[in-house]
Amino acid sequence: MRTLVIIPAYNEEGSIAQVIGDIREHAPEVDIVVVNDGSKDRTEEIARDAGANVITMPFNVGIGGGMQTGYLYAYQNGYDAAVQMDADGQHRAADLPKLLAAIPHSDLVIGSRYVEETAYRSSATRRVGILFFSQLVSIVTRQRFTDTTSGFRAANRKVIALYASYYPSDYPEVESIVYLKRRGCRLIEVPVEMRSREAGRSSITPLKSVYYMLKVTLSVLMSASRVRVRGVKASG
Amino acid sequence: MSIYIISITFSVLFLVAVFELVRRQRLKEQYSLLWILFGVVLLGVSFNVRFLERLAEWLDVKYAPALLFLFGLLFCFAFILHLTLVISKLTSQVLRLTQELAIMKGQHREGEGGMQ
Repeated sequence: MRTLVIIPAYNEEGSIAQVIGDIREHAPEVDIVVVNDGSKDRTEEIARDAGANVITMPFNVGIGGGMQTGYLYAYQNGYDAAVQMDADGQHRAADLPKLLAAIPHSDLVIGSRYVEETAYRSSATRRVGILFFSQLVSIVTRQRFTDTTSGFRAANRKVIALYASYYPSDYPEVESIVYLKRRGCRLIEVPVEMRSREAGRSSITPLKSVYYMLKVTLSVLMSASRVRVRGVKASG
Repeated sequence: MSIYIISITFSVLFLVAVFELVRRQRLKEQYSLLWILFGVVLLGVSFNVRFLERLAEWLDVKYAPALLFLFGLLFCFAFILHLTLVISKLTSQVLRLTQELAIMKGQHREGEGGMQ
């Protein structure tokens, strides 16, 4: 199985080398592509020196556009599986084999902090947000999800094709789950450990969180109201 | 038929149209939020006639529904400003894409020339 790890990165020079090194150590057989989303620091050359393929966007396109670039790259180069991982080091490469092992049973495997009790702790407001979206998505898709905002996921060829054709542009994690469910994909969560952030800042500031809640809620409801399609079909 | 009924009807139809456009992926969610906000506020104002009339009295406006027009006009200004911000960003992005493409084309041609 040819596997690609996609790491979207924006100003992550402090942690990117460590992340790539971790993957090399725990999963030496996978290819790594860093989607450098118009970083203003040395992310590009550090990632290249660490041995990853680097795609540098001409300007900052946002997390959705960057992530989709990775999926498009995976699609065009015929990869069987793609794993998305954060560049800040919060996802552990040690969990990679666990995610990939679940791929034969599912189209998308989501690494969840909450399937089992883990040591992961975050702020109260963040937990409320995560809980809200997990509830919303669970209702809309009729499948229980515990960690819809997790950005640690493994996708098979079917999902790679679907994401290459459509991927939400900003704050994509939650909507991208509903989108796949509407397309008749099988999704599962597997428990993973996550670390606190090593470097860089969270992309979501308190000021943006109201917009975040509104936008994502609207996207989820709209995505759920779109016509249910069975199997893979290019979106119009 | 009063301006209020027209206003209510219009805002309901407007909201339905916006949601339908988003559902069909003709309008992106991030651009629909301002329109939805506008529709909801317009609907609220149209329903709450008492509030509008008190506001008109307070602002010394003789004809209360004129406030609806004022509100609509001000919103249009705000939205046009928002649109020009988006266009400005798109302009600089298209410029950068054109530049990168032109440079790539040049390099590509040089590479071909070297082969001969």
